[in-house]
Amino acid sequence: MNDNISRLMDSDLDDIEFERMCAELKTDASIETWACYHLIGDQLRGTGGVSPGVGRRFAATLAAEPTVLAPAAARATRQSAPAPFAWAVAATLAAVTVVGWTAFSMVDAPPTAVAMAREASTVRAAQVKPAADVPAEYVVAHQEYSPANAIQGGSMYLRSAVSQGTSTRP
Amino acid sequence: MLAVLLAPLPATAQDAAQWLTRVANAARNLNYTGTIVYQLGGRMDTSRIVHLNEGGQEWEKLVSLDGAPREIIRSGGEVRFYFPDAKVMKVEPRTLRNAFPSISPDQVKSLAQYYDFRVVAGERIAGHTAEVVVFEPRDGLRYGHKFWSDAATGLLLKARLVNERGEVVEQFAFTDVTVNAKIDKDMVKPSWTATAPEWKVRQSAGGEVVQNDTGWVIGKVPPGFTKINEGFRKVGGKRDPIAHIVLSDGLVAVSVFIEPVAVTQTQIGLTQSGALNVFSTRNEAFIVTVLGEAPPATVRQIAQSVARRAPP
Repeated sequence: MNDNISRLMDSDLDDIEFERMCAELKTDASIETWACYHLIGDQLRGTGGVSPGVGRRFAATLAAEPTVLAPAAARATRQSAPAPFAWAVAATLAAVTVVGWTAFSMVDAPPTAVAMAREASTVRAAQVKPAADVPAEYVVAHQEYSPANAIQGGSMYLRSAVSQGTSTRP
Repeated sequence: MLAVLLAPLPATAQDAAQWLTRVANAARNLNYTGTIVYQLGGRMDTSRIVHLNEGGQEWEKLVSLDGAPREIIRSGGEVRFYFPDAKVMKVEPRTLRNAFPSISPDQVKSLAQYYDFRVVAGERIAGHTAEVVVFEPRDGLRYGHKFWSDAATGLLLKARLVNERGEVVEQFAFTDVTVNAKIDKDMVKPSWTATAPEWKVRQSAGGEVVQNDTGWVIGKVPPGFTKINEGFRKVGGKRDPIAHIVLSDGLVAVSVFIEPVAVTQTQIGLTQSGALNVFSTRNEAFIVTVLGEAPPATVRQIAQSVARRAPP
């Protein structure tokens, strides 16, 4: 179900699945997840600022305006978004660890969900150039000198792995 | 009760040095296997790590679980990067004597002077009880560090770097880990046999640092940083040895690379990759590249103050 919510946000659902999800979103658990996913996305894009209780307010708005989810409008919003965000990421990590725990155990606890989502997703995507620009050989040569890296053991090579992984020329 | 739990325990510079040493030794000496989530900028990568220490020798296998398959094998004095899609394997030598810099008394002093080291309330990470320590910078020239280490063994379970605005710039965490696991050599072997003609093997040239006066000086070394290394090193893909100067404040290092301007495209200005900031600038017929886990202002200041040593 959570997977379908993230697919809905990515406009990946076909018409039948879309209708089913619109009906599904009228339940408290689903709307909580939906709000939580948006909050995580906002935080990851650095466009946060959603206040606690957004889930309840959104649920009230949705109940009052059941036709608010127009697929065409949703697509237009997505295209104009400043930084497209791959929802698969939220579905794999943030959703499981953050939304999963809160949605399963305490559906009606938005402040906790909000706080946890903030905690989990404050890494900002903004103003960071692609890692491929960093010369990988320099990164590897540099890393062995850093005490903070040394305490991580081999995981310090994750950085060069990421940097080399994005490079078109390995 | 809550206030008591959250109150930081008093800690000294010596505690900080001892903590760093314990955690570094754990990373090197323990046998462990687990899943690591690494968050950098807007990206998240999941990897599987297996680490074996047998008779003082280390073997390690790091397998990326997301995106294009990549594998890193660390053994003996080298690191091998496997790119099975491109059928490319790169070998980078690793100077083992720098595996962990023992902390000099100067660096202990520097740590205490430029970071506020605190032990805060423990947490649970990946099912393990973790000790939590914070290195909070006392100026804007370095990032804040928060570390979670396994209370029982000292293994680092989670690490987070925070910028001056309190934003997390880079983070890594085990989501599951087995410490003192039974590991045999097969588990740290590469998944591929990289042999020609199917695979292209790229051996990085040298890598050994020749300790030397490079003829370059850093005019404005940021407070707390001292030079821990200077010399020439061969860097993969470059014909001539490159001047490499390393500064450290006891917790992070900043590297200065100086090479003649060549046909290879080098980005001028600032590049960021998580906590790693890179600043390149042109200095006459040379390109100066400074990189380290320090804020942009720190690497820029160092890069812009690099100069030829005045003749005596």
